[in-house]
Amino acid sequence: MGYRLQNNDFNELLKELSKEYKLYAPKRFEKRGRFSDTDSVRYGEIQRVEEIDYTVKSHFSPKEIVYPITQTLFYFTEEEYRESQVHDKKILVFLRPCDINGMRRLDTIFLENGPYKDVYFERLREKVKFVMMECKESFENCFCVSMGSNFTDHYSMAVRFEEGSVLCDVKDKDLQSQFVDNKKESNFTPEYVQENNIKVEVPDAEKITPALFEHDLWKDYAKRCIGCGRCNMVCMTCSCFTTQDIAYEDNPKAGERRRVWAGCHVDKFTDMAGGHSFRKDYGSRMRFKTMHKIYDYNKRFGEHMCVGCGRCDDICPEYISFSTCIKKVNQILKEGNHEE
Amino acid sequence: MALDLNTKAIKKNAYRITKERGKTALRVRVPGGALEAKYLTLLQEIAEEYGNGQLHITTRQGFELPGIPFEKIDEINKKIKPIIQGLELDYGVDIENPEAGYPAAGTRNVSACIGNKVCQFANYNTTEFARRIEKAIFPNDYHVKIALTGCPNDCIKAHMQDFGIIGMSDPQYEADRCIGCEACVKNCKRRVTGALSMVNGKVKRDERRCIGCGECVLKCPTAAWTRNPEKFYKLLIMGRTGKKNPRLAMPFLEWVDEDTIIKVIVNTYEYIDQFIDRTLPKEHIGYIVDRTGYQVFKEYALKGVELGPKVKVSEYINFGGYKYEKDAFMDQL
Amino acid sequence: MKNNPLIPHKAKIIEVTAQTDIDITYKVESDLQPENGQFVQVSIPRVGEAPISISDFGGGYIEMTIRKVGSLTNEIYTLKPGDDLFLRGPYGKGFPLEQYKGKHLIIAAGGTGLAPVKSIINYFYRNPEEVARFDVLMGFKSPEDILFQPEIDQWAEKFNTTLTVDSATEDWKGNTGLITKFVADITIEDMDNVEVVIVGPPIMMKFTSLEFLKRGVPKEKIWVSFERKMSCAIGKCGHCKIDETYVCLEGPVFNYTKAETLID
Repeated sequence: MGYRLQNNDFNELLKELSKEYKLYAPKRFEKRGRFSDTDSVRYGEIQRVEEIDYTVKSHFSPKEIVYPITQTLFYFTEEEYRESQVHDKKILVFLRPCDINGMRRLDTIFLENGPYKDVYFERLREKVKFVMMECKESFENCFCVSMGSNFTDHYSMAVRFEEGSVLCDVKDKDLQSQFVDNKKESNFTPEYVQENNIKVEVPDAEKITPALFEHDLWKDYAKRCIGCGRCNMVCMTCSCFTTQDIAYEDNPKAGERRRVWAGCHVDKFTDMAGGHSFRKDYGSRMRFKTMHKIYDYNKRFGEHMCVGCGRCDDICPEYISFSTCIKKVNQILKEGNHEE
Repeated sequence: MALDLNTKAIKKNAYRITKERGKTALRVRVPGGALEAKYLTLLQEIAEEYGNGQLHITTRQGFELPGIPFEKIDEINKKIKPIIQGLELDYGVDIENPEAGYPAAGTRNVSACIGNKVCQFANYNTTEFARRIEKAIFPNDYHVKIALTGCPNDCIKAHMQDFGIIGMSDPQYEADRCIGCEACVKNCKRRVTGALSMVNGKVKRDERRCIGCGECVLKCPTAAWTRNPEKFYKLLIMGRTGKKNPRLAMPFLEWVDEDTIIKVIVNTYEYIDQFIDRTLPKEHIGYIVDRTGYQVFKEYALKGVELGPKVKVSEYINFGGYKYEKDAFMDQL
Repeated sequence: MKNNPLIPHKAKIIEVTAQTDIDITYKVESDLQPENGQFVQVSIPRVGEAPISISDFGGGYIEMTIRKVGSLTNEIYTLKPGDDLFLRGPYGKGFPLEQYKGKHLIIAAGGTGLAPVKSIINYFYRNPEEVARFDVLMGFKSPEDILFQPEIDQWAEKFNTTLTVDSATEDWKGNTGLITKFVADITIEDMDNVEVVIVGPPIMMKFTSLEFLKRGVPKEKIWVSFERKMSCAIGKCGHCKIDETYVCLEGPVFNYTKAETLID
């Protein structure tokens, strides 16, 4: 059902929903950007529609809501361990179609890969309902259409923000009940990005051979990439983590086991006790990430990992463009000059 | 008619007595070192019509137009009115007659590095702050040099000024956002002061070693480090070049705010007024502090100033520098 | 939470045996019934967790041989019988032992690579009639690095064993030289009936495999085991992924036909 709510009515709705849900949306953190006097737009809890910054692409993805950057697994005391707890509210996330599609990639890794589910992911994920923010206009560096992630109907509610009001398309029954008394019905069907400025053609899996892994293309990235890992951190679908055990400074007999995000571009990702490691040069890390995003994940799970949100391009301090990398790979394979 | 000039009045009007008899050079202030490019057309016109066609860029980020006949001063002063308007009056500087050129030249152009308008490292808008200072202190005849730099890299050489202002970031750490990649720790150790270390997979900051450069914020891939939106500065004092005793400026205040710095500088003019040696044609502020001692300067500079909770003040300063003779500061009475 | 796969369980240390100055074998109480070549995640709470291969197992125990190389293993090094280790697992796919039965089995192990295959050797030591012929090639850096010496001596009674060290002082009476040097000495009568297991450092596995290929052993008869830095061991953390393969799920044991396609 479609509705039009004036902002103050929408805020009343949010207030009502907040009794049951934690509400997350992209919001502006003033002067918290990387450079002085710049803002950071990332996910945080909101109370009012005015707090939602839908005018730009959030610098970080919403993955941190279901997959926190730091997550305690257990607390240890001398003799026992105790699992960490989470809040008992449900979660409502305002996000764009690309990120909803990205969430499915996280689900696949955490809930379907291997014989066990990741219960720490699951316990947050199962609380989540999506409020899709209509996204009609492509931002800089977006290539969602090429990755097929510009569209989704997997949402509980879709919204379009207009001057002073919000159009809603409500699919979820529980949410629907909040609208019953509202005689504010309105036709609203969300629209989607039809075309991006950036278009990529993802190469066919069968064309990719070991020769591509050795191609000079990666040597170029070895000189350009600085291994900072920003691309991994802002990515909606990068899901790697590292486990840390710690003993508290003030009471070393107690401590915790936790996990933190990790990234294949960041040093130490493959370090093994004893000193051996893999992919020491940054070029092979770029190759590893690229292949994961547009080749091997697809081989394993049947869809590409990359959703084309372009956040990695937005953030890269060295102006390495991932979509350009895909294009280069495709070009190399088309020319067939990787089989030397 | 033979030239008959009041050189003191001419110098005060920002014109130089040059080595070429009959010719002067106009000095144009550019507070904060930035100006709209359109003013260059006017400067070009003056240089070509009245001067020798040259435009010298001064070390303090002003322009000097040499080869101008002294007779043309009044005419040129009228011509540069748009520059006085755009680069002084518009910043709030009080100049009675904008058609009479610069009313003072003692206090030098307030210079600034490019700042956070452009530079990734800069912790504030140096130009804007420079213009605020210009408004507070100009016009003034006392010889004071001020420069602002965005970060401790000190590209403007704030360490060579009477007042050097360095931008400081107060880095704030959200441990839960930290992935322990150590990018900030490694960088701080290699390029800065080693104020950061890893403890239990998270970063610990030694506040006493931190100089507020903000590089940890720049390096952090997850925005675990962000800047306190409040701005802080380090105020260096009494650096100088010169013949007698060149030396680097030394920290006077750290983690101080913009308003306090302006008050301190304004107070310093009262201090100069009180203690300057009027038997000399001019006396540079640093030498006045040498005579009165730092403690007296400090007392005057901090008069009526309420320091914020984070501010640190130097108890004592050993300015050092070097002298050419062991009795450089000795006099026969 | 129900079914939390990351929960470790306590395992009491029964026996501690020093193999070298830095390699120690820990026998712990355990009901786990692992496959040969599988690994467990071993931890000491507050210190850390790491993947360790199971070097042997039997009724009520498993055995792990751990080298002191980092903060966790340094801490493990201080443990005595009666202390607890924390385990979860076993994880991964082991060696297809059934497939080796009745065959000419060749095991080439370099350094700590002997640990994950020791249970296979011991199995056939106990059941020598289940293998047609058995050659064991073992290489270590120096005589001081030799692991499981008493067991190696025992195996020599029943199988063709070759023990070599990369380098040694003059009083070493045994073989010297890399394992690859001794591949040619093995008699292989029937290339279709042979199974070759190669475990060791990446470079050793690579060149030893090439030696066997040169001998004419078909790729599908060669088996290797990968060591990677698993953090979760259940296919989530991403550390051990190579191409679309997760070493913790599909490995650590791979047939050479698969292993050769895995580019890190």
